[in-house]
Amino acid sequence: MVMLQAGLCPGLTAEMIQLLKASGIRTVVDLISSDLEEVAQKCSLSYKALVAVRRVLLAQFSAFPINGVHLYEELKSSMAILSTGNKSLDTLLDSGLYTGEVMELMGAPGSGKTQVCLSIAASVSHSLKQNVLFIDSTGGFTASRLLQLVQFRTEEEEEQVEALQRIQVAHVFDIYKMLAALQELRHCMSQQVVCSGGPVKLLVVDSVSAVVCPLFGGRQSEGLALMMQLARELKTLAREFGLATVPTGIKVELDIGGYGALEERPGASGEEL
Amino acid sequence: MDRLRRERHVLGAGRARPEEEVAPGPTWVAPCRKPGSGGRAMQRDLGSLPLAPALRARLVGAGFSTAQELLEVGPCELSKEIGISNEEALETLQVIRQECDSDAARMGGDPTSLRTCTALELLEQEQAQGFVVTFCSVLDDILGGGVQLTKITEICGAPGVGKTQLCMQLAVDVQIPECFGGLAGEAVYIDTEGSFMVERVADIATACVQHCQLIAEAHQEEDHHKALETFSLESILSHIYYFRCHDYTELLAQIYLLPDFLSEHSKVRLVAVDGIAFPFRHDFEDLSLRTRLLNGLAQQLISIANDHKLAVILTNQMTTRIGQSQSTLVPALGESWGHAATIRLILHWDNNQRLATLYKSPSQKESTVPYCITPHGFRDVQPPPPSQTPEGSEMNPRKRPRIEEDKQ
Repeated sequence: MVMLQAGLCPGLTAEMIQLLKASGIRTVVDLISSDLEEVAQKCSLSYKALVAVRRVLLAQFSAFPINGVHLYEELKSSMAILSTGNKSLDTLLDSGLYTGEVMELMGAPGSGKTQVCLSIAASVSHSLKQNVLFIDSTGGFTASRLLQLVQFRTEEEEEQVEALQRIQVAHVFDIYKMLAALQELRHCMSQQVVCSGGPVKLLVVDSVSAVVCPLFGGRQSEGLALMMQLARELKTLAREFGLATVPTGIKVELDIGGYGALEERPGASGEEL
Repeated sequence: MDRLRRERHVLGAGRARPEEEVAPGPTWVAPCRKPGSGGRAMQRDLGSLPLAPALRARLVGAGFSTAQELLEVGPCELSKEIGISNEEALETLQVIRQECDSDAARMGGDPTSLRTCTALELLEQEQAQGFVVTFCSVLDDILGGGVQLTKITEICGAPGVGKTQLCMQLAVDVQIPECFGGLAGEAVYIDTEGSFMVERVADIATACVQHCQLIAEAHQEEDHHKALETFSLESILSHIYYFRCHDYTELLAQIYLLPDFLSEHSKVRLVAVDGIAFPFRHDFEDLSLRTRLLNGLAQQLISIANDHKLAVILTNQMTTRIGQSQSTLVPALGESWGHAATIRLILHWDNNQRLATLYKSPSQKESTVPYCITPHGFRDVQPPPPSQTPEGSEMNPRKRPRIEEDKQ
C-alpha cells in the first residue's frame, strides 16, 4: 500500500495527486483497482494520462511471476539442510532443519524446549560451523549449560571457544524490542554486514509466546495484529535470507476472542528426543 | 533490481508520447531505498511501532504503511490528512522518530550493534558473577552454587513448609561481604501476605554475623576484619527495603516503579516478592485478565533482573489438580505461569522431613534434597547424633531404664 506521491512515476504530477485524493484515491492499489473512466470524469483528468500512469505503476509494483521449474532449480541450489545433532529429531524432521523454513517448538513448562534450542544451536555452531543468532526472551539461556553441550561434542578448548563465539545472543523482553531486533537483523543481512565471520544461518527465538501472551485477551485485537507482524517478520527472514528459524511457544488453549473458536495447540512431548 | 530493469523497459515503450516528460534515468523516488538515512530502519511497518490502536487505524485508513512515509509528511499535513489535532500529530511523529533513531543509532554503532553478545562473553560474565547462598549446602549444590542472578527463581510449597523463611534467609545472605563469598548487595522485599516478621529476620541476621565472625577468627585475614566492622545487625536490617502491597493493583504499581527505585539504589542484588499468588487468587472474576497481568508482570520482572543484574525470587502457593482418579498438588496460578519462572523449586513434606525439589532449571538436573529450619534460619539437615544408649535396643528386663525427670 504505497501512497501516491509526486514523482513516483513520470506523468504523476502533484496536481493530479490532489485531484485524485479529493475523490478518495490515495494509494497505488486504489488507483489500479478503480475504474479509470469514472475517475477521469470525476477528476477531469485525461483518460490517456491515467492509463499511462497505471501501466507504469503496474510494471513497477507488481510481483514478478516465476516458473515452477525455475523455483525448483533455485531451491535445489540455495536450500541447505542443517542437522540438529540429534538423530531421532533429524529423522522426525526429515533429515534436519531446512533453511527458508520456520520450525516451531511447543511444549508444557519444563518439557525441555530451551534444552532442545541450546543443543541445536551448539550442534549448528560446532559441527556445521555456521553462525547462530539466539534471541532470548525468558532468561533461560545459560552459557554454562551451552558450554557443557559443546564439551560433549569436542574435547579441545579452542574448538569450544570458537563454537561459543559463533553464537550471538540478544536479550529482548517485549514485543516491540523483538520486532526491532528482527528488523535490525534484516538490515544487517541485506547490507551483508559481515559480523564476526559470516552471515547468520540459524535464528532461534526462545520464546515467542513470552512476549506475545501479555497482549492477548481483552477487547483489543492488538495482540493478534502484533503476533501476525512477528510471524510475518520471521517468515520473511527465513525466506529472503535462507535462514532456518526456530521459535518456541507454550502449550495453552488460545481463545481468539470474537471468532469464538477455541484453538488448541498440540504440545510436543519429550519422548521424540 | 528487477524493478529498475522493468521500469526502464516500460519507459522505453512509453516514448511514443512526446508530450509526457520522460526523464532519462531514475529521478523518481524509489519506494524501497532512501539514500543516506537509516535505510531499512525507515521501512518499519506501522504495525510494529508502539502507537495507540485508534491512531493506527486512522493512519492505515489514510494509506500510510511505513514509518518512512509518515516522517516525510510534516505534522500539519499529518493532522489535516487523518483529522487529529496538531499536538497529537507532533507527538506521534516524535515517537516514530525516536524509534527509528534508536534503530539507526544501534545500526550505526559497532558491528555487534544488535546489542548482542557472543555466548563466550556471556559465559565469562556468568562465571564472574556470584550466587546468593542459602546456607543449606545441599540446596546450593543442586542449584549450581546458590540462587542465580539475572534469573527468576520461583519457590512453591504448601503452607508452613518454609517459603517465607527461605526468602528472609536470602534477603540476609545477599548482604554477606564479598570476602566471605557473598555479594555485598542490598535486598528489596515486597510483601503481599504480611508474613514478614522483623524479629525473625533479626535472629537470622545475628546468626549470619556470628557465622562470619567464626570464619574471620579461623582465617585471621585483614579484609575479613574490615568487612566485619560494617557487617552488623543494624546494617543488615537497614539494607532490606520493605514494601507492603495489599492488592494486585498495588503490586503491579510497585513492580512498575521498581526500575526507578533500582536506578537510585544500584547495590540491590535481590528482589523478593513474597506471595505472588495471594493477590491474584481471590476475587478475580476475569481469568483472562489475570493471565494477561501475570504474563506482563513476568516479562517486567525478567527485564528488571536482566537490566540490573539481580536475582528475583517469587513465592507461589499450591493448588490441587483433580485428575480422573486422583488429585495432585501443583503450583498455583495455572500452566501459563509455569513458563514465567526460569527456575522452579518445590518445597514439600515427606513424613516429618522437609524436602526441596528442583523442578525446572535450564542448567541443572532435577533432584531432591532435605533441609531443615532452625532458630538460626535455613540450614542443612544435621545427621542425627549417635545413639546415647546403644544397648537400649536390647532391653535388659531386670534393669529399670533410667528416665530423665522433667525439670519444672
